[in-house]
Amino acid sequence: MAMTDTEVEQGGQPEATSLPQSDAALPDAWPKGTDHKYIGSLFVAAALLFLVAGVVLSIVMRAQLATPDADIVGDRTYRQLFTMHGVFSVFLFLLPVWLGLGSAIVPLQIGAARLAFPRLHAMSFWLFLAGAAMVTAAPVASDVFHGWALSDPIPVRLGLPGRGPDLLLLGLVVVCMAAVLVVINIVVTILQLRAPGMTLRRVPVFSWSIMVSGAVLLLALPVLIGAFALLFVDRHYGASLFSGFTGSRGGNPLIWPRLFWFGAYPVLWALVIPALGAVSEIVATFAGRPLFSRDRASAALVGVGVLSFAGWGSEVTNLSRPRPLFILGALAVLAPVALLILNWLATLRLAGKEGDRDALRRGFGSTPMLWALGMLPVLALGLAASVVSALDAGRDAHENYWQVGQQHALFFGAATIGAVAALSFWGPKLWGRRLSDALGKLEILAVVGGTLLTVLGMLLLGVQDMLVHTSTFDSGDEWEIGNLVVSAGAAIVGLGLIVLLLDLLGSVVAGRGKASGADPWGGQTLEWATPSPPPRHNFDALPEIRSGAPLLDLQVGQSRSRQSESDLASDGGTA
Amino acid sequence: MSLVAVSATDNLPVPASGDAPVVLPTGAPLPGPVPGRPRRGTSTIGTLLLVTADAMVLGAVVAVYLAIKEGSTTWPPSDVQVGTYIPTMITLTALMSGFSVQWGIFAARRNDGRNAAMALILTLFLGLSMANLEWLSFVRSGFGFNDHTYGTLYDILIGYHLLHLLAAIVVVLVLAFRTMAGHFSTDRHDALRAGAVYWQYTNVVWFIVVTVLFILSRHG
Ligand code: HEM
Repeated sequence: MAMTDTEVEQGGQPEATSLPQSDAALPDAWPKGTDHKYIGSLFVAAALLFLVAGVVLSIVMRAQLATPDADIVGDRTYRQLFTMHGVFSVFLFLLPVWLGLGSAIVPLQIGAARLAFPRLHAMSFWLFLAGAAMVTAAPVASDVFHGWALSDPIPVRLGLPGRGPDLLLLGLVVVCMAAVLVVINIVVTILQLRAPGMTLRRVPVFSWSIMVSGAVLLLALPVLIGAFALLFVDRHYGASLFSGFTGSRGGNPLIWPRLFWFGAYPVLWALVIPALGAVSEIVATFAGRPLFSRDRASAALVGVGVLSFAGWGSEVTNLSRPRPLFILGALAVLAPVALLILNWLATLRLAGKEGDRDALRRGFGSTPMLWALGMLPVLALGLAASVVSALDAGRDAHENYWQVGQQHALFFGAATIGAVAALSFWGPKLWGRRLSDALGKLEILAVVGGTLLTVLGMLLLGVQDMLVHTSTFDSGDEWEIGNLVVSAGAAIVGLGLIVLLLDLLGSVVAGRGKASGADPWGGQTLEWATPSPPPRHNFDALPEIRSGAPLLDLQVGQSRSRQSESDLASDGGTA
Repeated sequence: MSLVAVSATDNLPVPASGDAPVVLPTGAPLPGPVPGRPRRGTSTIGTLLLVTADAMVLGAVVAVYLAIKEGSTTWPPSDVQVGTYIPTMITLTALMSGFSVQWGIFAARRNDGRNAAMALILTLFLGLSMANLEWLSFVRSGFGFNDHTYGTLYDILIGYHLLHLLAAIVVVLVLAFRTMAGHFSTDRHDALRAGAVYWQYTNVVWFIVVTVLFILSRHG
């Protein structure tokens, strides 16, 4: 309902008509607070803050579970820790990091001078921050210990006294509404503000992935908004929508988890899709050639987006009737991801066959590429674990650590590493400074290695049937080794993130990094055809756009350009 | 101008043929729309996306309603009597307002500000009468928000429409003033169209609410 305010804003904004003749000059006169690069960077900064907060919470959890019979935090505190860890990591880190990178990078990639609704964008950020503050205040107000799915214990209403859960629910509603507004802004920008020659089919893969992810978020986040709002009503009025017993005058406790996961499962995929897009872009750039097949990569991303709505059965228990359908749905969404990985590998193989091998070797050594390559084993492990989860849709694996491991590999690990890869790739464009290459290698080793350890440990505990939300275990249990491995991995990831943070502070904030220049990586898309950081209006001039990789065309000349255009048309991509 | 030349880097592949690279013309004035200038209809598309998201919120509420209805032995509870007179009147009014708001656009397209303003004012009156009827349907229902699950969902669904309607009334009010100030013309009425999309969506919300509450109502 608050959305209607923006309706007025949108309706009342005479964009096209009020622009003076020299459009390029216009954004310069607007306040800095409406610059998409500035607001996008604020989103990224806020996201990184909550990444740190989330990981700190997880390290406390893992300290408690590193050894048997530990007494570092009690059960109640442990439950608060994983609740806030989950909420921070998903809603206040992954969501805003992609909203920020998307809104900062997409206009540059499609040759636009700004977002479609610049003031709305600024407003969305401050709205997001208000929501994030409410969420953060929740555990201070009173205990929130029901998990990020808000469903443990059931019935929810009875299990959640106090102001904390209220703040959490309303804060999440505000955060999700802000996210929807950003998504609308970005999607309209892609539809309406592309530079001349930039057809939809030529939209760079990362922007494409942001659009696909945006479409998923646009449909899935509102389900969560509705669910959270109804839960709020349930808590305060005599409604008992999600409690009570079937057949009485009350509602049905089974509805909540299904409604939540119907929205949350596509949301988790929507937070992985931009990571897949970013890695596609990075792989192509450092291979020095177009993707093996750009069109198939774009189609695969759409496939993930569409099928993500079919897979939620792999995350809930108590599914009885249409189980086979849920199994199929949860398996189907994995296929396009696998195809995309093959696309990357084929790109690299072709680059090795035809291209300059030295250049390729240099490409493999650069930091963004190493992050991208580091995502591969985590993603592959996540896919494999997800096959098992899918086959087990609605059954036991969803109550033990298998689910924790599967989600941390496929969704959280892959998306987080992809986001850092994107930051090291596009950060220099946005902020004009490169991150340290030497520290970068250390960060990659720690974050990727630590994530793999953590996830493997979690999967082992799943096989050994340790239940989720367990806050302690007895010495002598077979769980000792697995728990130790998970905790060791957590510590290593933590160290890697500390180094990454120092790197960001030193190289970017303090400005000690190497100046990046307009095009540090030999980029193929428009954002590299303007200085770093770009001017307020993004471009003084644009190269001609004849394919999905205008700068590659520019570099290798007209003859090659025509060829790659026909390649695109024939879906081959091999030049 | 030279920006683009700066971007040329040395680790890109050299053309296989060995031809000297031909650099495309850069920096020349661009044909067609300049970067940063939105194509027409930007507000309308933004509004369409907004109402799509909004419809999914409603979808979640409707899903909960249907699930609870399916699980109940008697639905609505036996002491509940809901008449169909008020909802029928609202539905008819909604249909009329759908026409009147389109009439406004039709007139604005032909540069007919007088008719456009009249159409919008008529739309406002129809909207206010719907809001009034909805208020009646709250007070005349004979049950309260907290009495039972049915009452809660009934009030939430109708209230969902009422809130959208009130917002739409504000939107149309602003648009009516802007029409009278001569803001819209044959090739400048994107905001008007966006407002009309929102109004029509409000009507769609009503049709969904009516279907759910009064057509699919009985169970057990
Ligand atoms: C250092 C890396 C991480 C470690 C060691 C870690 C560890 C954990 C642990 C121990 C739990 C609780 C499991 C349970 O008791 O059932 C958990 C839950 C969770 N984690 Fe992580 N995590 C890490 C990173 C992440 C990241 C990067 C994300 C998302 C971006 C994430 C999202 C979640 C979510 C959503 C939950 C579910 C919370 C719940 O059940 O309510 N985690 N994690």
